[in-house]
Amino acid sequence: MQQIPIMLAKAGMVLAKDVFRGGVPAGMPICGKDTVLTDALITRLDQMDVQTVYVDGHPVWEEGGQSIEEMLQALDKRFEKCREEPLNSMLYDIYKAHLTKSMGGEGGR
Amino acid sequence: MEDKRGELKKIIMDTKTLPTLPGVINKLNALSNNDKASVQEMAKIVSSDQVLSARILRLANSPSYGFYRVSTISNAMILLGVNVVKSLALSSSIFAIMEKNSVGLWEHSLGVGVAANLLARKLELPECEEIATAALLHDIGKVLVSLKCSEAEQEVLKLVRDRQIYMIEAERDIIDTDHAEIGGWLSKSWFLPEKLSEPISFHHDVIKSDNHRIKTSVVHIADVLIKASGFGNSGDSFVPVIQKVAWDTLKLNEQILAELVAEIEDKLVEVKNFSLEMMGE
Repeated sequence: MQQIPIMLAKAGMVLAKDVFRGGVPAGMPICGKDTVLTDALITRLDQMDVQTVYVDGHPVWEEGGQSIEEMLQALDKRFEKCREEPLNSMLYDIYKAHLTKSMGGEGGR
Repeated sequence: MEDKRGELKKIIMDTKTLPTLPGVINKLNALSNNDKASVQEMAKIVSSDQVLSARILRLANSPSYGFYRVSTISNAMILLGVNVVKSLALSSSIFAIMEKNSVGLWEHSLGVGVAANLLARKLELPECEEIATAALLHDIGKVLVSLKCSEAEQEVLKLVRDRQIYMIEAERDIIDTDHAEIGGWLSKSWFLPEKLSEPISFHHDVIKSDNHRIKTSVVHIADVLIKASGFGNSGDSFVPVIQKVAWDTLKLNEQILAELVAEIEDKLVEVKNFSLEMMGE
């Protein structure tokens, strides 16, 4: 999941969270999670003062953002002292799978 | 070594005031001027700040109020009244001098609070809010070391870097105690209830927790998860070993852990934005 400004949203991206008018949960709900964005929908959202949306995957590369390789390297480093422990090793695998999925998974570009 | 520990303990027990981040103060102030703001909304803002939460809880639990032990921020706020909380928040802003390096610790604490809350809800444990508060305050000992003994803190951080060891090992080496024990002293001197002080004191040594082992286990696991995630900066660059006793106490399994990691990571995207917003003010 990644939060992106509406101006970077593209048709085909999939919403990871519900969107509310004005971008605040107190606002009127406009469209739900799992909706596939279209150009018309993006224009509508923009007109309704929605500034950012959460989308599946990690479609936009941000300034200073890490690549998946860098992220996995940092993960290895963090687990350096405890990889031998069975529970930690399980946690490591879960995190690795999660990172891989969130960076490249569905909706990723 | 013994005098160093005693000396440190004296410094901690003398503590009357702790710094807090000004962004929280501004938000709280704006909210308390708004007649429509609810205590819950304010409690939510306060809960995002470990030091302010601690100050409010300390006040609500002080013997002069003579009430039962209070362990949630919203109860404390109802007990004390909005004006007291507001003045407390304002007086805290004197301490806007919190240095840049504590932003990482603040993010770490916030992350552990979020993770503990999600874990407690997932396991349908009672008193989720208390658990989240304990998690938010779990590293309060580090804030104190940084404030009161900044030289020792630098030495600890240097040792951590040079020898690539866990922070708690470096602390024991240099100050003959550690942030968990210091946090424990502090929570005692503030008359915090045991359900908060035990997780603070034993989040690195769950087996020592007798009366609130479940809460302590949640805080321990949440701390490990946030360190694994790399969110914020606790001062430690390595993930601690998951303590078997905590794992067994909570009856965790691989599926729960995998679901939890996904939930935490989703939530952290929001927390990160919240934290950036606070920094910007």
